[in-house]
Amino acid sequence: MNAILETKNLRVEYRSREAEQGIKLAVDDLNLSVCAGEVFGFLGPNGAGKTTTMNVLLGFVNASSGSASIFGVDVRQPIARQRIGYLPELTYYYKFLNAEEILRFYARIFKIPRSQREARIDAVLKLVELEHARKRLIKTYSKGMQQRVGLAQALINDPDLLILDEPTSGLDPIGRMKVREIIQRLKNEGKTVFFSSHELGEVETVCDRVAILSQGQLKVEGRVDDLVQQYQCNLEQIFLKLIGHPVS
Amino acid sequence: MNNAFAVAGIVIKEMYRRKDFYVLFILTALITLAMGSFKLFNDDRIVRYLKEICLLLIWISSLVIAITTAARQLPAEKELRTIFPLLAKPITRGQLILGKFLGCWLACGMALLLFYVFFGIISGAREHQFPVFNYLQALWLHWILLAVVVALVLFGSVVLSAVSVNVTISFIVVVGILFVGRHLNKVALQLTEPAQSIVYSIYFAIPHLEFYDVRDLIIHDLPAIPWKIVILAGGYGACYTGLFLFATWLIFRRKALN
Amino acid sequence: MASPALILGLLFALCLSLGSALGSWFQGWSGGRNQSANVLNALIGDSRRMFANHFFAKADAYFHSGYYPTIFDSQKREEESHLAGGHEPAGEEGELHQHDENCKHDESDEPGHQHDASCNHDDSEEASFLGKPKDWIDRFSRNFYPVHHSHLEKGGERELLPWLRVSAELDPQRVETYTIAAYWLRSRLGKVKEAEQFLREGLRANPGSCEIYFELGRIHAEDLKEPAMARNLWEIALRKWAAQEKAGEKPDGFVFQEITGNLAKLALNENDFEQAIYYLKFLKQKSPTPDRIEAQIQELELKLKK
Repeated sequence: MNAILETKNLRVEYRSREAEQGIKLAVDDLNLSVCAGEVFGFLGPNGAGKTTTMNVLLGFVNASSGSASIFGVDVRQPIARQRIGYLPELTYYYKFLNAEEILRFYARIFKIPRSQREARIDAVLKLVELEHARKRLIKTYSKGMQQRVGLAQALINDPDLLILDEPTSGLDPIGRMKVREIIQRLKNEGKTVFFSSHELGEVETVCDRVAILSQGQLKVEGRVDDLVQQYQCNLEQIFLKLIGHPVS
Repeated sequence: MNNAFAVAGIVIKEMYRRKDFYVLFILTALITLAMGSFKLFNDDRIVRYLKEICLLLIWISSLVIAITTAARQLPAEKELRTIFPLLAKPITRGQLILGKFLGCWLACGMALLLFYVFFGIISGAREHQFPVFNYLQALWLHWILLAVVVALVLFGSVVLSAVSVNVTISFIVVVGILFVGRHLNKVALQLTEPAQSIVYSIYFAIPHLEFYDVRDLIIHDLPAIPWKIVILAGGYGACYTGLFLFATWLIFRRKALN
Repeated sequence: MASPALILGLLFALCLSLGSALGSWFQGWSGGRNQSANVLNALIGDSRRMFANHFFAKADAYFHSGYYPTIFDSQKREEESHLAGGHEPAGEEGELHQHDENCKHDESDEPGHQHDASCNHDDSEEASFLGKPKDWIDRFSRNFYPVHHSHLEKGGERELLPWLRVSAELDPQRVETYTIAAYWLRSRLGKVKEAEQFLREGLRANPGSCEIYFELGRIHAEDLKEPAMARNLWEIALRKWAAQEKAGEKPDGFVFQEITGNLAKLALNENDFEQAIYYLKFLKQKSPTPDRIEAQIQELELKLKK
């Protein structure tokens, strides 16, 4: 299977006052490969380098060395982002706009034809159950509603690859269930989902493959079933073992 | 350009949904109408002072709108983290900067149009004449100035850390150029080296925004400027605008967003 | 814990008490500004004079339709300003006409010369305060502001009035503002009543001003055709002038010449040669051409003898 998301010896360094030589290594020679149609979990403790890796994939940060590509295109090219959808961890959108206007704005950037734009907006708003609030300004939305707007804008271009950073963060159980349903639906449609999460129970349920990162280094990568069989414990215990945390 | 115009549309929406413009417009209108209500020496045909006051208020308002709107564009995107979902789309940082510039400039243009229509009504009511051509020329030149100012402030927003610092410095620079820019060569002549060279360098390097301040011509009903000169002034403004935007892009493209 | 309302009330009472206590101290300390009934004076104190000067200069700039030197052209500023130069001749006697020494135009030999828009001003670049353009920026910028010397005329002089009004509000002790405004009001705009009202306002602020009395007299003589009233006013002006001189204030000699010259002219119009000679003798004391005055006196004395 062809990898649609790939990193090769990816290395990201930051200047830091705390580090001894003034340089902090956020990502250390990361080699990742995500195939089409799979749901890929990207796990690690806080500060492991997950968000940095995502920032490189999305072009927010330049890698110090190594490469990253999406659909075979270098991530530094804007066209690499034509077929992806991104949901950030903290969902903030223009407070002076309403949901419909935000989606229309992003649809325009994706060059979705005018004739299809409104239908697409209606479809995603229906999917995230925000039709009733489409004309209200974002500043009046609750956290959960903002998260759903985030999901809607990530899906507006019917992406082939969805990159989700902590998609269930801050959501109530119903909200989490809905996100899981959406991920499952996308998988059934043949889309690829790449997401980071701390909810290992969810990851174990939804993901085909996972990678566990710690201190910028890839500790393990593989199918969830294979890892559970290999380590003879659940995913949470595998996680704790690999990051060097004592397991009770 | 589609992406740039999409971003510009958002900026324009923001401007007309914020209260700043309406407050400034109402303030301008109220002060002008109050000043116009006085009957000095039983003569209701005195109009130039009113034109001057109105134009001064328009200039102050337009600079406030342009500088404050432009100064908060990029920092607000980063602070509110709206830049992440935006740049995760197929849009380059250059298109973002261009879009922000276009949005601020077009928004300022719309505000200016409204201000100048008001000005035209007020002066026409008193003077019983309406030199449309002259007013359009003044509006156009004013708009060109705002293009340079917006570009300058956008540059300041990627160089300086805080919005308030950028706004303050931008105001000082712009007002300083308007008041003193034309005269720096005279000041330089009175200085000794090396101060003379420094002042002369500043004189030739700064964008001469005073070219676009034709209030005196409007107030005193002087003839319009030849179109060749206006086109040259437009070109001059476009050069500086392009320079500031290019410099902004050079710095912004390398900046980490988090 | 005391209730918030009680704390607020106590704090408010404390503020009022402090205010009352400090108020009386402030009355004696602030040098009289707070005593002023004038709001502007209380707000900005003596810096109002600076603003008044600015607005007076603004009126001059308006007279020249924006063509005006800036502080960077300050050397040329006094040479160009002739807002106050609008003096009309008193009559056929050349000595009664005075050009403003700041005029830069060709002085006509004709005694009836008036300083107005038809004056032959040399407004070439070299002669003006602008000078030749120093560089291409200077040259290009001259397309965007007034660069030709002109004067307001045919009723356009009304545009000066708001700035003169504001200047007078800010500095009521500046007599020149009232006299200049009155000149334009009565001679170019036909607003004699308004000119008189404004001068009387100026008189309330400057009761000892001989200039204002003189201008009032001119209104009564030239516009209202009331020679008796004019004479009274000019005589008061003369007394005020003398009082200023006696007090060591060094009043303007030109004003003295105007007053005595006009009194003499009035007397001549009424064929009162004795009175005319009386005033011409006064005029001779301050005139730059005493010989010509003496000749006129002798001519009148001859007429008297006849």
